[in-house]
Amino acid sequence: MTGAEFREVDIDLLADYIGGALSGTPDESSVAALIADDPAWRAAYESLSGGMATVGAQLGALEPMVMPDDVVARLEAALASPIAAPDPIPAELAAPPVPHLALVRGDHAHDVPQERTTARERGSKPGSARRLRWATPIAIAAGVIAFVGFGLDYLAGRESNSSDMASSSAAGEAQARQNSAAMPGGPQLLASGTDYTASTLATGPLEPFAASAKSSSRATDPSVQSESAPMAAPDQAGSISGDDPLARLRNPAVLQECIDAIAAENSDGPIYPQSVDFARFDGSPALIVRFSATQGSWAWAVGPSCGTGGKANTLDTAPVR
Amino acid sequence: MTSGDGAPSDADLLRAHLDGDAQAFGEIVRRHRDRLWAVALRTVGDREEAADAVQDALLNAHRNAAKFRGDAAVTTWLHRIVVNACLDRIRRRQAHPTVPLPDGTRADDDRPAAPEPAAPTEDHDTALVVRQALADLPVEQRAAIVLVDVQGYPVSEAAEILGVAEGTIKSRCARGRARMAVALGHLRTGGDGSHGNHNAAQTVPSGPAAGERRDQR
Repeated sequence: MTGAEFREVDIDLLADYIGGALSGTPDESSVAALIADDPAWRAAYESLSGGMATVGAQLGALEPMVMPDDVVARLEAALASPIAAPDPIPAELAAPPVPHLALVRGDHAHDVPQERTTARERGSKPGSARRLRWATPIAIAAGVIAFVGFGLDYLAGRESNSSDMASSSAAGEAQARQNSAAMPGGPQLLASGTDYTASTLATGPLEPFAASAKSSSRATDPSVQSESAPMAAPDQAGSISGDDPLARLRNPAVLQECIDAIAAENSDGPIYPQSVDFARFDGSPALIVRFSATQGSWAWAVGPSCGTGGKANTLDTAPVR
Repeated sequence: MTSGDGAPSDADLLRAHLDGDAQAFGEIVRRHRDRLWAVALRTVGDREEAADAVQDALLNAHRNAAKFRGDAAVTTWLHRIVVNACLDRIRRRQAHPTVPLPDGTRADDDRPAAPEPAAPTEDHDTALVVRQALADLPVEQRAAIVLVDVQGYPVSEAAEILGVAEGTIKSRCARGRARMAVALGHLRTGGDGSHGNHNAAQTVPSGPAAGERRDQR
């Protein structure tokens, strides 16, 4: 007998009956009656129940699997990375509460009262608890980018104009200077000056977590169209000059809006930005945001208007392998 | 609380992780990684995709351990995250099909790109065709069967992992087994002993519409 002989029988319904999925439902007695009264159903029942039992036995006999060594090594390395640092314990479980470092869209469970209070105290709009979660890392990040900017201007022989950026968070800058560009728990801000393309978007910079500000500002993958020494080529970097189209995105609040927009357009729940590179894409100023989400890691190239009107101004996206 | 052998329980380790114990989460992973790997690989079917899914899922679990409320076993929570990562990858693959390579190694639907690696057993051929039939199932049926029939989880736990009712798990498993029985030629009448051909699955009325008819139980 083949499935072709079951044409008069609802195989799915019969399978549900055999598998116990109809227990306690009106369909259970209906199918039982069909099996008792209809030869086609009876034959199908006898055949299918045996076949399903055989399949169940074969599935149960499949050999156990062991995670391959290379996957184990890769996993252990990933978990040892600073980006794997756990989020703080929620306020309900530990005090004092601290801002979350991950953007969690619609995660009301973590909109703890303490965060809301703090947001209002800072003059934020009501309901902006989600944004506040980024306040600390973004402020620290602003310090880092200000520091990087200062270094670029200094090397270029120009007067630094980064005081406004640095003033956004003096504490953040101090922290940034201590940590250089390594910012456990928050996105790393870079100004690599790399001119990414669709084919290189998913690659480099590849040392984002523990590298120094100088080394991390370079794209290390030779396949990336990067200036060989962006620290010495600030004009090409296009991120420090006064008419920098990306200047608005150095404002932590604006950068937050941009990341919000990316998360919204990604449509996959929370995103965890790992790095934000003030760079170029196909020759135009662009922000390169690398993040992980439920479905994997991505690199998004977004334009200078990212975050405006809730739009990400997406130029291109690429999965990161 | 400790497990029966005196070792700390998963919940203890998770609390230790939240308290800053750098080794605790790794120990949880070591305990469960093989089963998580098996679930991921058999659900996704592609080794690299499975590795990515497991890594992404465990990184998320590591970072968001504070969100674990203890209303399920830690291992159930980990499985749920891993399975969801796998299903998301499959759905993304369906939504954004890739261009098949000249050798046709990339499927455009939810079917695994390649069968999982074979193990050197004497039932190698049988295992191979069973795995292929499993890989050919709709993803919801496949995920349920992997958990219940292959990995041996109780229906209740599989329901918790997949976030559906127990009846839905039973239905998906039953319909998946029925499909596989047809595909594998396991249907036969009382005494004839004849086996169906492998194309018979096409005649089973369990396409997407039929397959979902009672999946929403």
